[in-house]
Amino acid sequence: MAIACGEPAGDGSDLADLPEITAEEFAAHLEALERPAVVNVWASWCMPCRSEAPLLNRAHAEYGDRVEFIGIDVQDSQAGAKQFLAEFGLEFTHFFDRDRVIPNHYGGFGTPITFFFAPHGELMRTHNGVIDEQTLAVNLDDVTRVGQ
Amino acid sequence: MEFTLLWAVLTAAALAWFGLRIWPERVPAHALDRLLGAGITALVAGRLVAMIAQGVNPLTAPGDIIVIRGGVSTAAAALVFIATLAWTTRSARDALDAVAPATVLALAGWHAGCVWRGACLGSVSDLPWAWALPGSQATRHPVEIYTATALALGAWVVSRLGWRLWARAGAALAVISAVRLLTETLRPSITGGPIAWYIAGVVIGLIAPLVARAPWGPGARAPT
Repeated sequence: MAIACGEPAGDGSDLADLPEITAEEFAAHLEALERPAVVNVWASWCMPCRSEAPLLNRAHAEYGDRVEFIGIDVQDSQAGAKQFLAEFGLEFTHFFDRDRVIPNHYGGFGTPITFFFAPHGELMRTHNGVIDEQTLAVNLDDVTRVGQ
Repeated sequence: MEFTLLWAVLTAAALAWFGLRIWPERVPAHALDRLLGAGITALVAGRLVAMIAQGVNPLTAPGDIIVIRGGVSTAAAALVFIATLAWTTRSARDALDAVAPATVLALAGWHAGCVWRGACLGSVSDLPWAWALPGSQATRHPVEIYTATALALGAWVVSRLGWRLWARAGAALAVISAVRLLTETLRPSITGGPIAWYIAGVVIGLIAPLVARAPWGPGARAPT
């Protein structure tokens, strides 16, 4: 169901399409996780998403062994999504949500949004808009404590 | 939610204005305009450097420049702030010293603006004044409030110093850098803070008055 994006290459045309997912399937996916999760809602047309992508990449490198990182691409095209992933090399799991059902289900607004989940899918916090380094670091530290 | 940063900026600007009113001695004309201009220039420069460091090309993604929350290089912003302020006030010899306390107070306001942003907390603490993120059991140091308080005190200390050339400006740089350095351990970080730059800021701030009076320094021929 999920894909791990490999080495970024060109316009991303060599990447597989992002898998589509419903809100129910996504909730079940989170419920099955034994560790906390950070879910970032993004889109290739979203300018602020570009700004936070490098930070998310570094956070994944730092916390990826303790926290599940998931991207949700909303209201986008597959081609745009793959180009974005190729440009920023976001090497974690991404899903495609053309109709924006997942952020609507969890209650965020706008794009980007970052959700923080405890293990087994309990929503702890929602950050609407671009997330800065300190806010992301404090929230990651917080969810990892719940996961212990 | 994005506009909570604007409230932090307005808090900083309000405290800059207040600082210039309570410490008006030798303040050059249009000091608030010059401070704000230097601050905005510094933000843009710091943002550009941060984008390049993150691998984002400002020429192909110019719109990203305004997304300040995406990251600002502290060192680049500080250097550009000082350079811009020095350039715009070059006709007034004591200008940097005169606006130094207000600058430190403005920075205190920027950190106190964490209240608007809901981003005051740092590392975990059991101290009685620590508080927790919504829905969390882990209480945390309100590190941005510590920083704002220390900077406000630092602004007052700087305002009490004498008028030896660059003494106040240097002390301001040293105070700001030292406060950030000391509070950095209370800030969870992903990339690690610019510790080396804070140490450099303390050192440069402390030696600035000596440099000003060196034979080749700006204060050598016309001592205050």
